[in-house]
Amino acid sequence: MSPFKVLVVDDERDFLESLVRRLQRRSVDAAGVTSGEAALEHLKVHKADVVVLDVKMPGMNGIEALRHIKQLYPEVEVILLTGHASVESGVEGLALEAFDYLIKPVKLDELIERIMEAFDRRKVVGELAGSPPPDQS
Amino acid sequence: MNLVDHFRRLFAQGPQPPGTEEVERLRGEFAARYRCFRDLLSANQRALEALAELEQAQAGDYSPPMAFVRGRATATAVNVFRMIQNLEALAPDRYPGLRESFKAVQASVEAALGSAPAPAEGPLVLPLTEAAASGEALAGPKMAVLGRVAAELGLAVPPGLVITTRAYALVVERGGLAEEIARLLQIADLERMDSLLATCSQIQGLFMRAEIPPELSQAVEEGLAALAPAGPEPLRLAMRSSAQGEDAKGTSFAGQFTSELNVEPTRWDEAYRGVIASLYSPPAVSYRRHMGLRDEDAAMAVGCLAMIPAQAGGVAYTADPLDPATPGVLISSCWGLPKAVVDGSWDCDQFRVSPGPPPRLAESQVAAKERRYVCDPVEGVLPTLVEPELIRSPSLSRSQALELAQAALKLQEHFGGPQDVEWALDQGGKLYILQCRPLPSGGAEDHGALVSGAEDQLILRGGITASPGAAAGKVRWVQTGGDAVSFEEGEVLAVEQPLPRWAPLLGRAAALVGVKGGAAGHLASVAREFGVPALLGVGPGGRDLAPGQEVTVDAGGRAVYAGRLPLPGRPAMDKGLPDTPVRRALAQVIAQAAPLNLLDPEDPHFTPAACRTLHDLTRFCHQKAVEEMFSLAAQEHFPLNAARQLYYHAPMQWWVIDLDDGVRRPLSGKYVRPEDILCAPFHAFWEGLLEIPWQGPPPLDAKGMASVMFQATANPALATGVKSSLAERNYFLITKEFLNLQSRVGFHFSSLEAMVTPQAVDNLVSFCFRGGAADPARRRARLAFLEEFLAGLGMAVSIKGDALLARAEELPAPECLAMVKALGYLIMHTRQLDMIMASPQRVEHYRTKIAADLAALGPPAGA
Repeated sequence: MSPFKVLVVDDERDFLESLVRRLQRRSVDAAGVTSGEAALEHLKVHKADVVVLDVKMPGMNGIEALRHIKQLYPEVEVILLTGHASVESGVEGLALEAFDYLIKPVKLDELIERIMEAFDRRKVVGELAGSPPPDQS
Repeated sequence: MNLVDHFRRLFAQGPQPPGTEEVERLRGEFAARYRCFRDLLSANQRALEALAELEQAQAGDYSPPMAFVRGRATATAVNVFRMIQNLEALAPDRYPGLRESFKAVQASVEAALGSAPAPAEGPLVLPLTEAAASGEALAGPKMAVLGRVAAELGLAVPPGLVITTRAYALVVERGGLAEEIARLLQIADLERMDSLLATCSQIQGLFMRAEIPPELSQAVEEGLAALAPAGPEPLRLAMRSSAQGEDAKGTSFAGQFTSELNVEPTRWDEAYRGVIASLYSPPAVSYRRHMGLRDEDAAMAVGCLAMIPAQAGGVAYTADPLDPATPGVLISSCWGLPKAVVDGSWDCDQFRVSPGPPPRLAESQVAAKERRYVCDPVEGVLPTLVEPELIRSPSLSRSQALELAQAALKLQEHFGGPQDVEWALDQGGKLYILQCRPLPSGGAEDHGALVSGAEDQLILRGGITASPGAAAGKVRWVQTGGDAVSFEEGEVLAVEQPLPRWAPLLGRAAALVGVKGGAAGHLASVAREFGVPALLGVGPGGRDLAPGQEVTVDAGGRAVYAGRLPLPGRPAMDKGLPDTPVRRALAQVIAQAAPLNLLDPEDPHFTPAACRTLHDLTRFCHQKAVEEMFSLAAQEHFPLNAARQLYYHAPMQWWVIDLDDGVRRPLSGKYVRPEDILCAPFHAFWEGLLEIPWQGPPPLDAKGMASVMFQATANPALATGVKSSLAERNYFLITKEFLNLQSRVGFHFSSLEAMVTPQAVDNLVSFCFRGGAADPARRRARLAFLEEFLAGLGMAVSIKGDALLARAEELPAPECLAMVKALGYLIMHTRQLDMIMASPQRVEHYRTKIAADLAALGPPAGA
C-alpha cells in the first residue's frame, strides 16, 4: 500500500539514490531521475503527487522544469532543492508556485517532513477544488 | 501528521454536523485560509530560526563558513517571501508595497553577501623581474616579494615568469567554475573530514579538467621560450603557488598549496592545473574556513621558476618564533632540495647564527640525514640515500651559514620584520632565495613547563616545542586519510611525520605530537596560528603512545604524561579571529536582516513601506495575518466557528476558536465555558494552568525592577502587551484532538501546539517561548531555567537566540496530555521569573518549588 508518489529529480546521483531509498523505506512510492527532461518524460507515463527538484542541473534547470510541470500538471506540488543559495531563484520558484525552496545541505528528515506536508496540501487543495483525491492505490 | 491532514480525515470520515452545503463551503473556505495562515506561521518560524542561527554565529567566537552565512541569509529571505505570498492570499491587494519593501531589503542583503571581487587588470603572464612593479594583486604576494628580493636587494633568485591572477580568473570564467565551486561548498559539511575530502576532490577535479584558454597557452609558451636554464642542465621548472592572502600577517596558509617541482617545460599546463587546484586542497579550504576567509576571494598566481638542482637547501628564520626576544637566525638545512625541511619529513641540521656584528655561528646540531630529495632525471623529485660519509656531515659550511644568515637579515631589515626564508645552494654553492615571507610569531609568552610534580606519570621527555602550551586528550595516531576521517574533536593528534596534509585536523585537536619534525615545518606554523600545543621530533619513544590512551602533552615543558593532569590556569588561546572577511559579511547581512524597527502595531507607521529589514517584514506579515484570521471582519468568514470568549467564573482574556469539533453544540451566546470544550489537550492545559495556584509575581529587588522598566521603556511594543487590542488576545484554536495556543502573558510570547490522537505516530507536542522584559542575560538565564524542566519532561529542547523551542513527537496520548498539563503549569508559574534570575538563591528556591510541583501534578483527565 503506497500512500503517495514522489519523484526526485537531481543530477547528483548519491543524493538522489539515498533520498529515494529512504522514502521507499517509509513506504513512499518514490522514483528518481537525473534531469529536468527526464522528469517531464517520467510524468507523462507515471503520476506523481510531489516532485523534489534540484535547481541547478545541466540541460533544463529546475526553474524551467518547474514551469513546465506546473503548466502541465498544476495539482502536483514541487519542492525546490538547491545547492546554490540565491534569494532570486528562491523568489522566482515560489512565485511559480513551488511548495518550498530548501537549501542544501538539508537533513533528510526535514526534507521528508516537507514532502509529507506538500502531499497534505495537495490532498486538501484537490478536495477543495472538487477534483478526486490522488491515487490511493 | 499535521493539521491539514487532520482536516482531511475529518472531511473524509467525520460525522457531518447538521448543516447545509453552505456550512461545508464556509468550512472549506476556512480550511483554505487556515492553511495559508499555518503556512505563514511555518515560514515565520523558519525565517526567524535562520535569522537566529546567523545571530548565534555572530555571537560565537568563531568564523562560520561563508556558505553557511549565504545559506541562512537566503533561507531567511525566501521564507519572508513565503510569508508575503500567504498574507497576499489571505488578503488580496490589501498590502501593496510589501513586495517593493522586500525587493529593497533583498537587494541590500545580497549586496552584503557580496560577490567575487573583480580580477586584477593586467597581462596573463609577467616576467618575474616585473612582478615587483605589477604588485601583489596581479602576481600574488609570494612572487611580488620574490621580484622585490631580486630587484631591490640584488640577492639571487631563480629566473622565471609569473602566470597572473588575471590568468586564473580567465580559467575560472571560461570553465564556469565559480558557480560549481560555490554549489559544492554549499552542500558540503566541512566540519566532517570525509565530506571535506570528497568536496575538495570534486573541486580539484574541476580544475584538473579545465581547459587552458589558447591565449594563455600562447603567452606562457612565449615566456618559457625566453627563459634560460639556471645551470648546465636543460631547463626544468619549479611551479610555485602565489595565492591572494598567502603570507599575509596572521594568515600564512603555511604549506596549504602545492608546488610542482622539476617540471618539464612542455608539460607546464598540467602542473599549472595542479597548482591552482591546490587552492581547494583540504588544508586550504579548512584553513580559510577556520580563518574566516571567503573562498570566492581566493585567487592564485603561479610562479614558473627555473629549477635549482640544489646540493643543500632549507629554511632560515630571522627570529625564534617561540622566543622572539633572543636575537639570532635559525637555520634548518638538509642535503638536496629544501623539501625535506619544508615538509618536516626528516630530521635535519639546525644552526643558530647570532647577529653580531659580526655574525657568528653560535650553535650547530648536525643530524643523521640518511635521505634527501633530488630532481628525478625524468620529472619530479625523489628521495635517494645519502652517501654514508655525508650522513653525519653538516649540510652547510660555517661560511655558507654566515652568508645565508646575512642575506636573511638583509631581508628582515628590508621587509621590516622577522622573515621565514626558503633557500637553496646550487651545485656550485651559489645561494638562491626561493621564497621569503613574514614569520608568524607565537608571541613572547613563557613556554616553560606547565605540568610539575607528576614525574611518576611521565611517558616521555624531549622533542622540540613547535607551539607552546599544554593540553590533554586521547591519543589518535593518524597515518592515512582513513585515520583522519575518524579523528574526533579534542583528541591528541599523534603523527610519525608532521605533514601539512594533517592541518585540517588541528582545528579540532587538543595537541599535536610528532615522532619527527621540528619548529620550522608548515604543520608547526599552523599549530602556532591555531594555538594548538605541539611537541615535535620526540623520537622513537613517541611511538609508545597507545591509541586511545589519555595523555597530557606539555609542549612548553617538552614532556608527555599519562592521564589528564591538572593544568595551571592559562589564558585561553583565542582560536577565532574577531574580524574576518566572513564575519564582516555576516555582520552586514545581520544589519540588513535582523533589526526590528516595527514595534507597535497601533503606530500609524506600522506599514509595508516602513519595513526596512527582513525582521520587520516577518513582524508585519505575522501581525497582519493574525488580524486577518481573527479580526471581527475575518470572523465573518466563518460565522459558525466564531471566536468565543472563555468564561471561567468571569470572562477571561482568552478566546476559543473551534476549528471543527472542539466544542459541544449547540452553543449560544458569546462565551464558551471549559465544560463545553471537547478538546482533550485543552483540558490538560487548563488543569495545568489552575491546579496549583499561582502565588503572584516574585517580589522584585530594585535592580530586577529597574531592568524590567528599562526594557519596557526602550521597547514600546512590549508595553502595549497590556492593551487589549485584538491581536494581543490569547487564542485557543481547537478541534477535539488539536490545540494551538498563541498567548502573550505579561511580556512573554509563547505558543503551544498539541495533536493528541489514539495513534501515537500522529501525536505532537511543541512549545515555543520567547521574550521577556528583563535584559538579555536574565532572559537567557530564564530560558536555561525552563530548558531544564522541559528536558525533564522528555522534550527535545533547543535554544536559538532568545527563543526556546521544545518538541516531542510520536508519544502515546497519556504522555502527551501529561506533557501539555505540565506546560500549562510552567506557563503560569514561570511568568516574570526573569526578574529574579540574577539571584542564585532565589533561582534555587523556585527550582526546588517547581520541581516539587511538577512531581505533584496529578494525571490529566482523560489520560
